[in-house]
Amino acid sequence: MKARKKVLKLMVMAAVVACFLAIRAAGSSSAQKLTLRDNLGRAVEVPSRAGRILSLQPEITRIIVALGAGDRLVGLDYFLRRDDHLFKIIYPEQARLPVVSKPDDSVNKEAIAALSPDVIFASPSELLVPDSIQRALSIPVVALSSQGSFGRLLEEIDFVGRVTGLEARAKELVDYFLENMTAVVRTTSSVPSKERPKVYLAFWSSLVRTPVSYEPVNAAGGDNVAAGLLPSFTGSPGTVVTIEQILKWDPDIILVHGNFLPRERQVTVQQVLADKRLSSVKAVRKGQVFYTFGYWYWWDPAQVAVETLYLAKIFHPERFNAIDLEAAGNIIFEKFYGQAGLFSKLCEVLAFHDWIKKKQ
Amino acid sequence: MTGSRRNNKKRFLHVFLLVLPLLLFVISLGIGSYQVSPRDLVRTFFSTISPSSYPDIPPVYRDVLFRIRLPRLLLAMAVGAALSVAGASLQALFKNPLVNEYILGISSGSAFGAALSLVFLGRSFPPQAAAFLFAILAVLAVLLVAGRGESTSLISLLLTGVIVSAFFSALLSLVEFFASPYVLQALFFWLMGSLSLAGWKDLAISLPLVGVGLAILLLYRWRMNVLSMSDEEAKALGVNVRRGKILVIFMATLVTASSTAVVGIIGWVGLIVPHLVRLMMGADNRLVIPLSAATGASFLLVADGITRVVSPLEIPIGIFTSIIGIPLFIVLLKKAKRVWL
Amino acid sequence: MSIRIEDLTFGYKNFLLRVDKLGFLSGRITSIVGPNGAGKTTLLKCIGAILPIKKGMLFIDGKDIALLKSHERARLISYVPQEHGSAFNYLVLDFVLMGRAAYVPLFSVPSKEDVHIAEEALEFVGLGNFAERTYAELSSGERRLVLIARALAQQSDILLLDEPTTFLDPKHERGILDLVRKLALEKEKTILFTLHNLEMAIQYSDDMVFMKGGEVAASGKAAEVFQEPLLEAVYEMEMKVIEWNGRKIVLR
Repeated sequence: MKARKKVLKLMVMAAVVACFLAIRAAGSSSAQKLTLRDNLGRAVEVPSRAGRILSLQPEITRIIVALGAGDRLVGLDYFLRRDDHLFKIIYPEQARLPVVSKPDDSVNKEAIAALSPDVIFASPSELLVPDSIQRALSIPVVALSSQGSFGRLLEEIDFVGRVTGLEARAKELVDYFLENMTAVVRTTSSVPSKERPKVYLAFWSSLVRTPVSYEPVNAAGGDNVAAGLLPSFTGSPGTVVTIEQILKWDPDIILVHGNFLPRERQVTVQQVLADKRLSSVKAVRKGQVFYTFGYWYWWDPAQVAVETLYLAKIFHPERFNAIDLEAAGNIIFEKFYGQAGLFSKLCEVLAFHDWIKKKQ
Repeated sequence: MTGSRRNNKKRFLHVFLLVLPLLLFVISLGIGSYQVSPRDLVRTFFSTISPSSYPDIPPVYRDVLFRIRLPRLLLAMAVGAALSVAGASLQALFKNPLVNEYILGISSGSAFGAALSLVFLGRSFPPQAAAFLFAILAVLAVLLVAGRGESTSLISLLLTGVIVSAFFSALLSLVEFFASPYVLQALFFWLMGSLSLAGWKDLAISLPLVGVGLAILLLYRWRMNVLSMSDEEAKALGVNVRRGKILVIFMATLVTASSTAVVGIIGWVGLIVPHLVRLMMGADNRLVIPLSAATGASFLLVADGITRVVSPLEIPIGIFTSIIGIPLFIVLLKKAKRVWL
Repeated sequence: MSIRIEDLTFGYKNFLLRVDKLGFLSGRITSIVGPNGAGKTTLLKCIGAILPIKKGMLFIDGKDIALLKSHERARLISYVPQEHGSAFNYLVLDFVLMGRAAYVPLFSVPSKEDVHIAEEALEFVGLGNFAERTYAELSSGERRLVLIARALAQQSDILLLDEPTTFLDPKHERGILDLVRKLALEKEKTILFTLHNLEMAIQYSDDMVFMKGGEVAASGKAAEVFQEPLLEAVYEMEMKVIEWNGRKIVLR
């Protein structure tokens, strides 16, 4: 049983890598142009060394900065300007960029035309927007989003690497990410299934909204209780469950989306712990309710890597005791964004320290 | 002979409709993702009186029964009754069985108000108050634009309602635009109309407000017959029409806004339920108002029960009432010999 | 009960009703006649306080009607509208019961006593076994009767009827007017009605008021005021009144 689980885990990781490599091979590259298939299944012909890039997708924008192509960005979306605390730290030059859209909502095509980008990255969650921009402006639009999948996240890095001509840096980051994940999975895959905690995730500002798959939980050696349910929101793996269902699952651990400023949190750990309806749930009885980063509008590769470590420490403290999360986080974030002490800074802004330190 | 048989049938229906919500309430207590046998449910109930005599009842049973199902069912009943009675009352007042809280902008006004307080005022300000404030504003706007008095045709009322609703929807979109994504998610979830988060805390504010509004509308039920006549007739019959209108609009808005603030927009109940009751019982508001309350409570209990039985997922009840309500409405329209009974 | 009007004005956009002095005597039937747009219905509605009087006073048995509350006024005057359309199809008894609105407390429902009064009113107009029917099932003549029964249930001394016979065939027209007379005789009501049919007006009323252009052209005992010159002046056309079998017939 134990061995099978281990094999299974390794197979999953192998599948992620294989899938990713297959995608990498699939793009046919000519001298100047690449044809790539995006997350909407559209074949898009893009320049291989784009000089002017517009990203309307926060996740991609940060990857562009991580690859060292931040100076090629010509515009921003509203989300990055207002809500993305990380982005402001890793790319202070953002202040000079004009805002041309609000993700998923409204796109100012004329403003985009005025910026004359060579390529545009958009979110696939608004199905018609990428084609509509592409048709109107004759600028290639690529719709990409990781939607919480490791494989797709790595695919994005690779993709952006090829569009920017920074393949070597992209490969470096992909390898680094895989290396980190493999290190965690190597330990967690040896955990007997009985010791894997049942985990419930309260995401998206609601106690009853939960993702049907969240890979960091599995990688960190836990089981998502909602795994296997059908997602009820297109473009996201989220669904809504009843409170009774949570009682029925009786999770060992409840994780709450904590990826935002404390004052913006609609569901807090304190609330969950004080919720009398949940008082018989094991996680609440034993005080096993924590914030986690979670994906919000985007996933950040550095943050996901840190989160997996963080969850591993919560799920299996005895096995991951040796890891100093803040130190490890700073190393990972520096690898991606080239700034020392970046994770500490982020913790400061988002008040992560309160809950990270507690688990140290 | 036939008359008395008709009366007997009517009397039976009357009692049946009044008892139905209680019956459904008891049945619904036994329904949910967390399986508890009926026998255990009864024992759980008694175990709160003397916990020592039922040592084998796990505390989780009590939580399921008293902290999850009970408040949820009570909220479903309160909201169902509130929306139905508000619908029936407004229909009498505007002398038109097609009027509902949507047309009058109450839904969009209270949605905007609640969203505003959720996004910008945080949890400190009860959303019910903001919902009520803007719902009243919306109704007043509709009445002002559509013109008061006798000349208000349904068409002008409908058009104005659409315009005012559109205006408040635009304001709502503006709020959404400026909301941080984190709050926005909470807002979307609430707007879809769901009973899933019902707890005693939500009930503590909304239940008394709905209760007061319902009680006043119920006591006022017969006078709504008179108010459903033309304003001139009602005046000649000795009713203070102005005061009556203010009272009914105020109370109907209060109960609708208090419901909307907690559960979001649950549509069609206020139109379907009074229609159903009138088809069965006739137009007399002495019967229509109380039986709409009972039938509305039953309707939401059934709708909610179905969503809870169908899957462990939470299907927003607002979607559900529309899916049940609209085809039913069409069937009723086709069946009724006289269109507006 | 007697009605006295002093210096009354009421105006729409391009219509003005002006009545200096006008009285209606207790227990009599008065018909208000005149051409279309003369202000007959407006005068009736002003008396019933359905339309707000702009200026002037209206006394009922010496009491200023403006000082009365809605329900107090409704106990003195009831009004039978020309036509009634409702989106809701009430039972005839429920419909007549609405006449008790001035007596039923605000947050209450009609008592057994009220129901009894409504049933009696239905009986009086000859629709005793129509109680359980719905209003929509009725013929237009029956509907007029139900409207009258509702006013009757109001138990007021003064009864105002607006064109009670329009769209009715001669037989039903006569039926309604006979009922009106019966109300005056048996229930001692003071009755005012507007009418287009001059022959019926003179036949069924004690007093008459002639209106033209928002003003009272003449008023008084029916037999005295009903004269050819007045008719011709009011209606602006040639008219001839002839007597046949003691009844006045108008040729035009």
